[in-house]
Amino acid sequence: MIRKFIGAVTAVLAALAGLWLMLAPFALGTQPANADWTDPTTAEFFTGLGVAVIGLAGASAFAAAIHEDLVARGLVTVRERKAEPEPEPAPAAPQTSSAELAALLAPLVEALREDLNHTARPNRQNGSVTLVTAEENR
Amino acid sequence: MKAKLGVSALVLLFLTGLWLVAAPFAIGYQPAGVAYTDVTVNDLWIGGGLAGVSFLALVVYAADALRELTRGRHVGSPTGDRTP
Repeated sequence: MIRKFIGAVTAVLAALAGLWLMLAPFALGTQPANADWTDPTTAEFFTGLGVAVIGLAGASAFAAAIHEDLVARGLVTVRERKAEPEPEPAPAAPQTSSAELAALLAPLVEALREDLNHTARPNRQNGSVTLVTAEENR
Repeated sequence: MKAKLGVSALVLLFLTGLWLVAAPFAIGYQPAGVAYTDVTVNDLWIGGGLAGVSFLALVVYAADALRELTRGRHVGSPTGDRTP
């Protein structure tokens, strides 16, 4: 474990050195302003870029190895991703509500239909007076 | 596997440090027989430091790995570390 930690620290320091190398020609003033890059500037910049990238990769690799070691020893628990809720109920909701609405309105529709059928016969049927005849007799 | 990638990165960093030390003379922007320029001084310090620290890290890594091999696996480490 300690060797991986030392490796990670070394890689981070190397990445910082790489960043410094990229900036050095401009920071130290060895690269004239508004002029083409000199050979030293080109060499330092691209070498620094390589060092920074390799340092970053090394640090990530060692950090991942340390994390793996900690998980294997049971010192770190890995959280399982929660399953995201499915969006399907949202589009299905209007269908169920329209079905429920139809079910609620069915008795009213049936009553209206009976009422319309009974408008031609004003006599009472089964002791009940239709709504339309009741209104007409007012 | 991941530790091996890290070790490979350390080796590359060591070689790059050596390259940085040699670059002023290899590329030719350090004239011969003249005092070292700022660029050369910077490259020597950074390159030397990079090579030295990388080498030290590699030595420590190898020493710790050898010590673990001779002592056996740690208690409670089901997988252990198989990297040499």
